[in-house]
Amino acid sequence: MDNETPYVFKVKFPSDLDYVAPVRKFVAETLTVNKFTPKFAYRSEVIVDEICHNAIIHGSRTVDATVEIECKIFPDRLEFQVNDQGGRKDDVERLKNVMKKADAHRADYLQDKDARGLGLEIVRLLSEEIKLEVGADNMTTVRVVRKREDA
Amino acid sequence: MPGLKIQKQPVELRPDLTMWKIDGPLDPESIGYIHREFDSVLETKQNFLIAEMSGVTHVSSAAIGQLMGCRQLLVERGGDLVITGVSLDIKSKLSAMGATKIFKFYNEMRTAINAYHWEVERKSEKVWLSFPPQLQFVPPVRQMVSRIARQKGYTQRDSFRIETIVDEVCNNAVEHGSEKVLKNIELNINIDREKIELEVINASDPDKIENLKALSTAMPKAPDAKMGQKRGRGLALIKMLSNSLDINFSGEGTSVHVTKLREE
Amino acid sequence: MESQIELEYDDVKGHSNTKMVRFVGDLDATNVETVLEKICNLFDDGFINIVADFKKLRYVNSTGLGILLHFSKSAREKSGSFKIANVNENVYEIIEIIGATTLLEIYDDIDEAVAALK
Repeated sequence: MDNETPYVFKVKFPSDLDYVAPVRKFVAETLTVNKFTPKFAYRSEVIVDEICHNAIIHGSRTVDATVEIECKIFPDRLEFQVNDQGGRKDDVERLKNVMKKADAHRADYLQDKDARGLGLEIVRLLSEEIKLEVGADNMTTVRVVRKREDA
Repeated sequence: MPGLKIQKQPVELRPDLTMWKIDGPLDPESIGYIHREFDSVLETKQNFLIAEMSGVTHVSSAAIGQLMGCRQLLVERGGDLVITGVSLDIKSKLSAMGATKIFKFYNEMRTAINAYHWEVERKSEKVWLSFPPQLQFVPPVRQMVSRIARQKGYTQRDSFRIETIVDEVCNNAVEHGSEKVLKNIELNINIDREKIELEVINASDPDKIENLKALSTAMPKAPDAKMGQKRGRGLALIKMLSNSLDINFSGEGTSVHVTKLREE
Repeated sequence: MESQIELEYDDVKGHSNTKMVRFVGDLDATNVETVLEKICNLFDDGFINIVADFKKLRYVNSTGLGILLHFSKSAREKSGSFKIANVNENVYEIIEIIGATTLLEIYDDIDEAVAALK
């Protein structure tokens, strides 16, 4: 592994919450065996959890929709992206709003009786870089970069 | 306060399934209304009904009792009435009424439909994984597959056997794979209520293929402590733990296909 | 099917309306419903104070956090409390960054949480 040839791993799974726990743990454990700190792995696990959960609930308009996660391990950082297969327009707009730096909304998420919006807010707070791309049919890609903590 | 409203509509993701969008108070006065609406569902011969209750503002034991009766009729016809979208406050009240022991609850419509696919339609689900041909990736991979099996209702014992199969197959793919062509290993998983199928594909090392062919055809039926070779025991173990094992060699790659039936 | 989570219960000496609940495993979207039901049952049985021991709770996501906030609110509405103790560093960080530390009663250990009971 080096900056020119990172380790790349990918998982594609059905839009079903049953898969989120195995996939997030897989990402965390893979980071640990590649010498990222346990704290880094844990935070990455949380990010993967929340983004995948969102992709399943809000980014899966068809019955056989899937979610794909791709991780690139560089010596000094982790880059990952999660692709869904398209959600409703209002779901995408909500996602865009959460991605904007708006700490004022956090109190709303905490007061919401079902805590909606909290998940993506946590992702935003834990990530150094986060980008959202919306393509045709509202297919969404969320890209996250996290620098290795002991680099 | 506006009264209860029930809208019968097709489920967006599965238009052949019926949903009840229930809004307002599920109070005792709504029993007759629920009964009439349910009669129209019965006429359609639809046996599976999803009650979307995110708009429910109040629940009474009388109305829930009526819904339980509806459910019972559907169950007798081989179907079910499941509930989605209930707020935490309403869910707490339903729990106190014992409704959570009767109905299946799902947070989201998507989850209810996935459960329908899996439990009622018995559909299979596919997972695809690609990882670098390095040994350190194998433990997380095998644990992920084991957890998937466990999550889908396979027993601890079965999940452990699956983990062992994945471990051995992936270790072989790493150890016998090409050192010149550093192509990721691919793992395809197809899982349903009856079985799990695994396919591992890796880039082959032409120099090692003949050895591999020899090992795969000379697999002992049981691991033999007297075996001088380190390799071969893994394949023997896979063969013992699974119900079928096929290995295909080509100039470009090796693919190992394993099927394991679920043991109840 | 759910991620693995177990709840273990103990009485709290000197507090008949209090239950100690040990959370073991991961609290996520697949098992919050089960946990909700179990804690609600305790509330319904008259245990208006819950002391949650998080020593063996490895992981919480936003859905799990939502349910903890709900328990806190529900307990207050019954004039009780939902106190959390022994939170591991990772779980605490998630609670802290989202600003929920002011909304949850968090203590360093069980003794401190019990001492804070009315």
